[in-house]
Amino acid sequence: MKRLLRYILLFFITVTFIPIAHAQERTIHGVVKAKDTGETLPGVNILVKGTNQGTSTNTDGEFQISVSNGETLVFSAVGFKKHQVQITDQKTLNIQMEPAVGQLEEMVVIGYGEQSRNTLTTSASKLDTKVLDNVTLANPMSALEGNISGLRVQTTSGQPGEAPNIVLRGGSSITNPEGANPLYIVDGVIRQNLNDLNPDNIASMQVLKDAAATAIYGARASNGVIIVTTKTGQPGDTKIEYKYSLGVSQLQQKMDIVSAHDYVYYGRLGMAATAEQYPQFSSRLDMPIGFGIGNDMTKNTYFTPQYLGSGESVPGGWQSMPDPLDSSKTIIYKNTDWQDVLFRPAITHNNYISVSGGGTKARFDAGIGYLTNQGIAISTGYDRLTTHLNADLQVLDNLRVFGKVNFSNSSTNRVYSTSEIFRRSLSLPPTAKYKFQDGTYAPGQNISMGNPKYYLPKLDREDSRNKLTLAFNADWSILPNKLSFQPSASLYMNDYIRNSFNEAYQSGSNFVDSRNAEGYHSLYWQRQADGVFTYHDTYGRYNNVQLKVGGSYYDRQIYNLDAQGKGAASDKIPTLNAAAEPTDVSSSTSKMVIAGYFGRLTYDYNKKYLLAASLRMDGASNFGQNNHWGYFPGVSAGWNIHNEPFWKPMLPVVDRLKLRASYGVTGNNSGISDYHAQGEYRVGYKYEGSSAILNQRMANPNLKWERTATMDAGVDLGLFDSRLTFLFDYYYRETSNILWDLRLPHSTGFSSIKTNLATLANRGYELEMKTDLIRKRNLVWNASFNVSYNQNKIMKLPENDNKNNRIGGIYIYDPRKGDYVWAGGYQEGGTIGQMYAYQQKYIYPTDKAAQKGPTDMLVNSPSHQKGGGDVAWLDVDNNGVIDSRDQVYQGNSIPPWTGGFRTNVTYKGVGLTVAMDYAVGHTIYNWTRAKQNGQLQGDIAPSSDILRSWQHQGDKTDVARYYWADQFWKQNIWRGNSYYYEKGDYLALREISLSYVLPQRWVGMFGVQQLKTYVSGRNLHYFTAYRGLLPEQGGTDSGRYPNPRTFTFGVNISF
Amino acid sequence: MKRLNRLILFIPLILLVSCTDVLNIKPVSDISVNSFWTSENDARAGLNGMYVRFRDQAAYNLFWWGEGRSETLTYGLQAPEGRERYFNNNLDPTNAGPNWKGLYTVVHDANLILKYVPDIEFKNGDEKNSIMAQAHAMRAFVYFIMARTWGGVPLRTEPTEGYDPQTTFKKRASVEDVFKLIKDDIKQSLDLFPDKSISDRSKFSAPAVNALKANVYLWTGKRMGGGQSDFNTALNAINEVQKADVALLPTFADVFDFNNKKNKEILFSVHFERFESGSNYGDQIYIRGDQIPNETNQETKDALGLGGGLNRVSPSETVRDQYTDQDKRKDVTFTEIYKYNTNPPTYYASVVNKFDGMIEDGARHFVSDLILYRYADVLLMKAEAENALGQDPTPELNQVRNRAGLNDYSGPTDQASLDDAILKERLLELAFEGKRWWDLVRFGKAFDLVPSLQNRKGKDYLLLWPISEETISLNSKIEQNPGY
Repeated sequence: MKRLLRYILLFFITVTFIPIAHAQERTIHGVVKAKDTGETLPGVNILVKGTNQGTSTNTDGEFQISVSNGETLVFSAVGFKKHQVQITDQKTLNIQMEPAVGQLEEMVVIGYGEQSRNTLTTSASKLDTKVLDNVTLANPMSALEGNISGLRVQTTSGQPGEAPNIVLRGGSSITNPEGANPLYIVDGVIRQNLNDLNPDNIASMQVLKDAAATAIYGARASNGVIIVTTKTGQPGDTKIEYKYSLGVSQLQQKMDIVSAHDYVYYGRLGMAATAEQYPQFSSRLDMPIGFGIGNDMTKNTYFTPQYLGSGESVPGGWQSMPDPLDSSKTIIYKNTDWQDVLFRPAITHNNYISVSGGGTKARFDAGIGYLTNQGIAISTGYDRLTTHLNADLQVLDNLRVFGKVNFSNSSTNRVYSTSEIFRRSLSLPPTAKYKFQDGTYAPGQNISMGNPKYYLPKLDREDSRNKLTLAFNADWSILPNKLSFQPSASLYMNDYIRNSFNEAYQSGSNFVDSRNAEGYHSLYWQRQADGVFTYHDTYGRYNNVQLKVGGSYYDRQIYNLDAQGKGAASDKIPTLNAAAEPTDVSSSTSKMVIAGYFGRLTYDYNKKYLLAASLRMDGASNFGQNNHWGYFPGVSAGWNIHNEPFWKPMLPVVDRLKLRASYGVTGNNSGISDYHAQGEYRVGYKYEGSSAILNQRMANPNLKWERTATMDAGVDLGLFDSRLTFLFDYYYRETSNILWDLRLPHSTGFSSIKTNLATLANRGYELEMKTDLIRKRNLVWNASFNVSYNQNKIMKLPENDNKNNRIGGIYIYDPRKGDYVWAGGYQEGGTIGQMYAYQQKYIYPTDKAAQKGPTDMLVNSPSHQKGGGDVAWLDVDNNGVIDSRDQVYQGNSIPPWTGGFRTNVTYKGVGLTVAMDYAVGHTIYNWTRAKQNGQLQGDIAPSSDILRSWQHQGDKTDVARYYWADQFWKQNIWRGNSYYYEKGDYLALREISLSYVLPQRWVGMFGVQQLKTYVSGRNLHYFTAYRGLLPEQGGTDSGRYPNPRTFTFGVNISF
Repeated sequence: MKRLNRLILFIPLILLVSCTDVLNIKPVSDISVNSFWTSENDARAGLNGMYVRFRDQAAYNLFWWGEGRSETLTYGLQAPEGRERYFNNNLDPTNAGPNWKGLYTVVHDANLILKYVPDIEFKNGDEKNSIMAQAHAMRAFVYFIMARTWGGVPLRTEPTEGYDPQTTFKKRASVEDVFKLIKDDIKQSLDLFPDKSISDRSKFSAPAVNALKANVYLWTGKRMGGGQSDFNTALNAINEVQKADVALLPTFADVFDFNNKKNKEILFSVHFERFESGSNYGDQIYIRGDQIPNETNQETKDALGLGGGLNRVSPSETVRDQYTDQDKRKDVTFTEIYKYNTNPPTYYASVVNKFDGMIEDGARHFVSDLILYRYADVLLMKAEAENALGQDPTPELNQVRNRAGLNDYSGPTDQASLDDAILKERLLELAFEGKRWWDLVRFGKAFDLVPSLQNRKGKDYLLLWPISEETISLNSKIEQNPGY
């Protein structure tokens, strides 16, 4: 067997090497210049066509290379068109490179390969990596915001290192439209996300959008594919690059919260208002609470308000006011701005050093980066250490191997609960004590609404994540220029450790000293192997054919270990070894396998008529036994009209015009757990100390691949020597067999079952426009703009006897139909994300006016009596009764319009960039503000809306009377008031940066090749009417970590 | 070099080998549906699973269904967040209280046991019968909750094992059919129990099921026209209970002592334990520590101990005023908090003590066992049955009264007065144990005794709960209870 194999190998090697029997070689010299400016060009790649042999120009643009007559040299450099020269008997070469015009020339990375934009027939967007130049991003995905059409990228948290939410073309999920993750591929290795990847390592980042482009990835490509390639070394002198940046971040805008004076004033009046109906609560006015006067200076009370005793004077730093309920008494209190306590100016340092270079045989790129990024909320932050080594080696004349190592170590400090910190702690009454008299921090109200300075250090959450990618691949040219084989194998590991520890703390009157500790370890490892054969050939003169055939294996295992304990004797040791008593110990493991085969044929006739077709079959282990395999075809065609002989004379202004259309099907197996189809009996429960097992999930052996069919039609257009280019796409995506939780009738005993019974359609347009306004030697000004529109529609839902097979929703009156209808929820023909609430018409100015209004069933008293200051609701069905049927459509949580704008001006060494992005059409339920203004949560501070709330008979205002615990009685806010459904439309001033490349003559003498400095501002301002802290995400805002404004100063030096 | 080439050649070979086999993998850390219900250990764990899910329902919902709408509750110090709709009796389909979803998870668990356990081989056949008997009992108990709360409900006697548009969406059965199933399950359960004693007071046993049986037949006797025959059945069931190892504890307080769980008075309680279960409704009727006023006296502070939970609802004046000072049950049942900085002292709040849990790690944990049937309840049911049959109920009534430090019953002895006396004794004895609303309905006194219902006499639809809009929206075959 071994011998046989050896013979086969020998045969292959012989066959392979014979054609490269070398002809006469000689050395040739030359120089490369730019055609328009005449400058010499360093770093131009020179390759002998059909081989991997090559070199690059030195700093003076000169090169030398060994060639044989008849061979062709290919010159390539970023920003220039490829230039080819056939060697006949030249001794020297004087090459003039023509600048590349527009982006139609660019190479686009596609599935398992690369293709020129010129012959591409599918929809793909490439990120201009200049976006990464002048900003320090803790997460590379943030770079996509506003820069890629069809991709909705929303920052949902200002926590450093956190990934934005990314949804391609409306996503494919009905129940979780925000959770449709694209497939991330970094240097051919699939990853869960791009977190912890150093943006400084990224050479290119692309988004494949239509199914014809992504079908070759079949599995999990339904939400698009984001392909990242990292930097590799270039032949030539060894280049050393060092980057440093310093950033300062701060809160963009404070949450609108009243002062201590206003809080006490309105708080006492509000309590008295509620006590009109519920006298038993009036005792709260005297209690040791936020607006109560039962506090004292001791450690026993956590708030400051109290009556000033006769003969006493107001303590220093305190304020006083008459009691609004009894002006003969004086209340003293102390004001604390909890936003000043929670937020701080935060510092970010980023260091990056890389070394790259090599010759024609071997190239390498190695680097190390270290980022420390403080969050603007105290105690939060993100640290990241990254290293990488990318190397490739020409092992044989026809075999090149590549090895890549990418490692990151990161740790994140988060707050222990986003809603408790960014909603509740910020709403802690400003009268709460910040410090006791002995200088120690006071706890605030209790742990769920506490002083962040007290609790954040006590509730310690530390984690650490180590990610390692080892990738090995090769390019074996079996028949030069015709047949090659690219195998690859990789290991990706994600090792996560978290330690949580609660020091002993005071929460309300309880001193909690259980000192809960938790150690959590999760290991995620993924093995991947691919092999692709590529064959290309030209038949006749113009028929270019390329065929790829390959296979792919992927498996992923997860191992979790969790241990919890309590009862440590002191706060000194946060780890479990100090815990006296274990409370929970658990481990689990899980595995998924996907195997696939694929092929693609691309054909073009003289780059005029373009055609591509691909097919992938994928098998995934987490589907039902009979449905492992799915088939995903893709086909696309294009017509380069500008290459037709008739075109040029007809419309010379239009130098590029391509029509393209594609259709493809992709799959999705996410959203179901590894053994989902097999059902689940879950362990880990106990009754009377004996183990209990629960049937948590039914089996569903029919579960199968979710399929998304995408039709895409597009036009690429270039005008005026490609100074103005457009990419336009229209698409229609239909996701069928959607993997989703079908909600079941309550009597089944299950909430839901995962089925494939629904279909969702998304339809939309995308436009990317780029223009070179000025294209001079010293002055370049370009601008780009993109806009996307997407609308979804539910096409099919499982049969359930309801009209439109509706699931959920509310029963309301529809004035257009003149009848009661079920609205919202999920319905065939409907859209997702609809929001409904009661419509506030105005505020009743007087009791009399209120009594004339309709009977409000939601007023929580037997007579449903209303008074001045209560909301006059829209009685939609005009039946004289306000009830749940009077709710009104308030908007949708998903913005249909998204896009961005970006412009760069470069004059000599100075560059200026401005970038903005926007989303239009989403609605946010400002639950944070509703809770504040309605005191829906214990005693919490309201917004300044309250200052104009109704107070006296006859007041005309749009803010209802302020009640303590609005939900008790009038429910002006609690029921869902249209006043708190706000438009989320925003225009973000995302970046302004100014950079300066110092002239070579200043720095050259120090051996410096280039020195660039820059200052930039990121997340400078949201132009929005939304009154919360972060407008980017629709739906309910129940407290969000605001996105900070960051100013960065940086310097890049290369030697 | 050759080696390298060989390696590369191997990769496509490996890939070609891969086929569907690698895709058939079995879970390691959980159990697939096909591999469960194969051994007696599975049956035991499945049975415990049924109790775990029942505990989830007993923790809060059972109290709201069984007592929330009665006269025992009123506002507390903390926002009631919708719970006031229970005692104000203004529920509607959008605010319909807990829906029946959780109860059907228990029905499903019982159905799984009844379907699969018969085919499992046991070393000890008695254990198998006991498991089956408990499943029948649990199904009966849960349907009994539902029949009293909503009337007729969908009848599910098979586990849900897949989605199918034909069977997934079920109509409500008539309440008569529901009671037929309940009684049938009780019969089967009692037939199956291998012995008639109590082996575990936190699980169903034959005596516990007899208590349930008495409860059911009293209900159908009074509410469904079952009359004398049902009362006789109830009385016989109670006689069976009395043969078991149960008794009144000499001291009322000992029944609820955290360290005296599963005492001799208990027929069936739901087990709670820290790190095993969550807390139960005791935490919504106690008091947050910082709300205990300084101005109260030390005696009250001692009675309350460490604060915990929230005072979302509290014992109403109506119920508090019915306890006499010599009634030993008063202080065990609730604590009134007064502020003593005024004269006379001002009433501030009150809390329920029966299920006040335990203190550990500086916090109160509401993990008292919840008692579903205890002997005092059974004695009062006996009195009720006897009175309905025209027999003398006072011996049982007095047994309960005497333990509480009260004298023998000395009121009028006509049937109606005795009924009133029994109902009042049930209030004093069983307040806040999740029984009061159903007692009021069974005795036909809800409109007389619940303040928020007193002016709504004749609106009998209020005796049932509305069905939540969510429940209906998920199944259009479900019809709302008339009146809502």
